[in-house]
Amino acid sequence: MTRPAPMTRPAPLTLLQLAMTLALGLVTALGIAQRGIADEPVRIVSAGGSITEIVYALGQQDRLVARDTTSNHPAQALELPNVGYVRRLSPEGLLSVNPDLILAEEGAGPPETFEVLEGSGLPIITIPMGFDLPAVQEKITAVAAALDVPAAGAALVAQVTEEVEGAQKAAGLHNQRILFVLSMQGGRIMAAGRNTAADGIITMAGAQNAIDGFEGYKLITDEAVITAAPDVILMMQSHRPGAITADDLLSHPALSTTPAGRDQAVLQMDGMLMLGFSVRTGQAVTELANALATAGH
Amino acid sequence: MSLTADQINVFAGKTQLLQELSFKAIPGQLTAIVGPSGAGKSTLLKALCGDIAYHGSVHLNGRDISTEDAATLAEQRAVLAQATPLAFPFTVWEIVRLGLRGDASPTLINQALHSVDMDGFSGHFYQSLSGGEQQRVQLARVLCQSWSATRDLGPRWLLLDEPVSSLDIGQQLRVMHIARQFTETGGGVVAVMHDLNLTAMFADSVALIANGRLVAQGTPQDTLTSEALSAIYGCNLQVGAAPTNGPFVMPQMASL
Amino acid sequence: MAVISPDAPLISAGDRAPRARSLTLGLCLTLLITSVFGLAVGASDTSLWHALLDLAAGRELSLRDEIVLWHIRLPRLLTGLLVGAALATSGALLQGLFRNPLADPGIIGVSAGASLGAASAIVFGASLPMALQLGFWLVPMAAFTGAWGATLLLYRIATRDGRTSVATMLLAGIALSALAMAFTGLLTFLADDAQLRDISFWNLGSLSGANWAKLSLAAPLILLCLGLARILANGLNGLALGEAAARHMGVPVQTVKRLTILCVAAATGLSVAISGGISFVGIVVPHLLRLIAGPDHRYLLINSALLGAIVLVIADVISRVIIAPSELPIGILTAILGGPFFLWILLRQRGIVDL
Repeated sequence: MTRPAPMTRPAPLTLLQLAMTLALGLVTALGIAQRGIADEPVRIVSAGGSITEIVYALGQQDRLVARDTTSNHPAQALELPNVGYVRRLSPEGLLSVNPDLILAEEGAGPPETFEVLEGSGLPIITIPMGFDLPAVQEKITAVAAALDVPAAGAALVAQVTEEVEGAQKAAGLHNQRILFVLSMQGGRIMAAGRNTAADGIITMAGAQNAIDGFEGYKLITDEAVITAAPDVILMMQSHRPGAITADDLLSHPALSTTPAGRDQAVLQMDGMLMLGFSVRTGQAVTELANALATAGH
Repeated sequence: MSLTADQINVFAGKTQLLQELSFKAIPGQLTAIVGPSGAGKSTLLKALCGDIAYHGSVHLNGRDISTEDAATLAEQRAVLAQATPLAFPFTVWEIVRLGLRGDASPTLINQALHSVDMDGFSGHFYQSLSGGEQQRVQLARVLCQSWSATRDLGPRWLLLDEPVSSLDIGQQLRVMHIARQFTETGGGVVAVMHDLNLTAMFADSVALIANGRLVAQGTPQDTLTSEALSAIYGCNLQVGAAPTNGPFVMPQMASL
Repeated sequence: MAVISPDAPLISAGDRAPRARSLTLGLCLTLLITSVFGLAVGASDTSLWHALLDLAAGRELSLRDEIVLWHIRLPRLLTGLLVGAALATSGALLQGLFRNPLADPGIIGVSAGASLGAASAIVFGASLPMALQLGFWLVPMAAFTGAWGATLLLYRIATRDGRTSVATMLLAGIALSALAMAFTGLLTFLADDAQLRDISFWNLGSLSGANWAKLSLAAPLILLCLGLARILANGLNGLALGEAAARHMGVPVQTVKRLTILCVAAATGLSVAISGGISFVGIVVPHLLRLIAGPDHRYLLINSALLGAIVLVIADVISRVIIAPSELPIGILTAILGGPFFLWILLRQRGIVDL
């Protein structure tokens, strides 16, 4: 999983390439394992909120020396030095905390920064992202492997799996249509499409994403809002001044005509909890499912 | 060695500004271009400078100006426009220095300022001066350019577009004297003039222009006649003879 | 012709050249000090002084110190110097060409073109075929292509019969910039959340991504442009009196225009490509220098390069330590510091010199 990730680019795999990739993967894995034994990392920078949560859940927080802006849970993490926004990390800023390992979410960057750091011999492990249970399991396993605590990792995977599966079972399946609103810009709504964390959590809570026409978070038109006809609007809780509120959404002309607008069904949840896809995902599914059960219908 | 225009035609869109106009100025003389507003005086001067497109040919010191580069032309002639807009806060000294060519001595700058009677102004900002003062500073710059030219490409020329238009009568005479002095040292001067009496007083040769055509070119005595002037200006003008200064032009009250 | 009096004073009132030359000297010294500062200050505790002592004693630097000094701070310092010099010089050049102290590279479409290029690369970069996956080269190259393309197109539009109309260029530049901004807007519409953040961070500018690879590609061309700017000085001085007067004084006006535009497009395009959008340096620096030592481009251009470099390196040092270990985008700093400073100059100057 170290950079550059050899498998992430789509290319027709020949047998030879496959063999080489496997070999490379093996070497990389051995490398991590060996370093873990010989020289256990004790000054770790976590670049990604979900990674930070996992490190804490594994009880390895004493090995963290810095975190990125998105790492806001648990609250103690906020006391660590902040190395900046996860996609705009500065090389000297990272080096200044004397790390011996950087755990980076997929998408962390920029590439220039990681290139310089690799030149310094500083190991960087990229943790894959994904928005379903297997992805959470994979994340936890990868972080545990990087921290050389595989047993604790396996236990955490088992615990999280049980929580999530239990929560999903309790949630059941229903056909509520949920519109996730990330933000409003100039009166337009930025909504979650397919292949997003919001889409993932909505699906896991047994509901449907009201938007399925695109991938990622995008600004959508008023007509698209009306066509989506959500039963419930979901948004992140924010206490920042100037952040959008439920009232802002309900007074939005297009939203107010939807079933959600008529029923005033706006749910707010903590962003990191809901979208982090980390150790608290089971809790997130339960909270969302409970909220959905009382909202709308 | 002269400044000549042969049968030039100038168009602005479909309007013809100059028609088959031929003109000649020789060094050692002050040649005035005279005519009513809109006759094409400034257009002719622009053509002589190579500033606008024309059909026909213009020769400076025997060479076609359309084939000469800007630097070569600048060595032979300096031009004073009617008004020179300035973009940045230059001082008077700096404006005149702009005229200085190559490594010529900066003392020429003070010399030029002295000759236009602007000695004490070198530290002033150009934009803080009156219109007449600005015009004299520009004349100093033009002189500086001519004085500091080094290549020997024939006689030097000054082309002046209404050089005295914003000056009081004392300054007008002073500027015309500078132009005369320039001709006395072998240079040639071509000046667009509005003031017929100053023209009569200082010009060696007058090109009378009306409606884009040359009406006459010759000495002031030959060209500045009551008939010719009354005809092209469309009013009654009487030309008399002054004892020392050549002809003088007197407008008549009941002239229209 | 003229009699040159031997006792004419050596320095004349109104001649600000001596002042401008001493300013150049002062700026050179300041630049040196600033550069040492730029190498010595950073988020990490690597000490330039200790490193120099180690080197002098023949000891090897630790890998980390070597990385910080040699691969992070030095390329970053040099990039800051070059970008600052290029932006300020480009501003001075364009202001001379357009005869307007408020002209900046935005006028000739450079900024809008670069933004469009960068945004396209950010949004479509991931879906490009393998051959075009250029890693961190992709966005800078797209930005440069956008900047250069916009300017060349504009130059084509404004040039007829071998003469470039500055007025046409100004108007067409507004139209073209609006068009490019509209397309950038369209891209932000297509972009997802992460790409939007990348676009807005790009627009804020940063020297954080500086490395030897980018520097070695951009530096020769930027230095060439800075050198070229020197020979444009007399032509731009002439243009201050208008195109006709400049031609009469022997300035090859069309050549000066063409070189100025190409020079600015290349220098700004490269700067923007390797550092993103950094505002205000191109306007404030030349303006300040004109107030101090006059608008003579023979000194203005070199002094702008020096002061631009100083300003950007100082801004970069602040940007990297003010919220360390995180970092503030430098474009925010130059705008926050430059905006009020510029207003102050304008208010102070009002009524004294009419620009």
